[in-house]
Amino acid sequence: MDRMDQTDRMDHFERQLTRLMQQDGRPVSFEARHREALRAGVRVRRRARAARRAAGSVLAVAGVGLGLFLWPHGHTEDRPTAPQPRPVISPAPEPSTSESQAPSGTPSSTPTGFPTPGYTPTTSEPPSTSGSSATASYPSPPTDTATATAGGTTPPATASASETSEPSYDPSAAISPSG
Amino acid sequence: MEQARAGEYDAFVAARWSVLFHLARLLTGGDRHRAEDLLQESLVKLWFVWPKIADEAPEAYVRKVLARAAARSARRRWWGERPVEELPETAADGDLSATVAERSRLEAALAQLSPQQRAAVVLRYYQDLPDRQVAEALGCPVGTARSHASRGVARLRGLLADVIEPVG
Repeated sequence: MDRMDQTDRMDHFERQLTRLMQQDGRPVSFEARHREALRAGVRVRRRARAARRAAGSVLAVAGVGLGLFLWPHGHTEDRPTAPQPRPVISPAPEPSTSESQAPSGTPSSTPTGFPTPGYTPTTSEPPSTSGSSATASYPSPPTDTATATAGGTTPPATASASETSEPSYDPSAAISPSG
Repeated sequence: MEQARAGEYDAFVAARWSVLFHLARLLTGGDRHRAEDLLQESLVKLWFVWPKIADEAPEAYVRKVLARAAARSARRRWWGERPVEELPETAADGDLSATVAERSRLEAALAQLSPQQRAAVVLRYYQDLPDRQVAEALGCPVGTARSHASRGVARLRGLLADVIEPVG
């Protein structure tokens, strides 16, 4: 229908143009060389498609391998680390405050009892308590201190901590013999 | 299976080669070598979709691939076409028939059009397709296809004025 209308609306030039275009020249036969060229074209294209597919597979495998390689292995490493514990050994001169803080502060910072990396620097840091065995057991949970001070004579960890740290902190102890 | 497919495909190509080559030649403005390349390329593409469209309209598929490739070719590559004011004189050998001479003038005139205009004109006047199908083959809106065709024809009116005498 469209075609009929279209042809009807053509002017003389357009009709002549159509005639010119549609008058075929000599018919061109499909020769053997055309067939060969077609086959060669199909082979080349097939090879190119196979190569593209293989390259895609290699890239996909490489991507997956890289992803697995970079994937974190342990579950615990994914966890956010616990907040850094505040310096629990305060330079306060009064022994009474340090005694009350030590047992209560330590378990609250590590409720699950996991040994976190934040503990080790704080336990070995204070220069004033160097040489005392109580400093190692002081910030760690009660179970750890029990094993650490197992060779000692004091069964409870808090008791040993308060006893050994007292002389270094309390200046009055050094003054009292002379007075 | 593959053998049967190849047989059907070969039969189709052998039967339609001449018509398709003629179309490709008009779409390339008479460039025989380029027309052959274009047709080969389109028929290779046809091979890979042959199982899907063998029973439907393989010729329409080839026509679409040809037209799009021809319309796109100028954007990809320069084919050595230069616009000139006057058409070059075609050889008027004694053994050439008037039809062949007319044909040569037509191809030379088509070569002066832009690839999109040429494709639209060829599909519209040689293939006798309505505007909607021309647009579909070229992959553009109907208005654009119509515009390409009308501008192409307007240009051809000037170029072929001595070949196609105006009436009256």
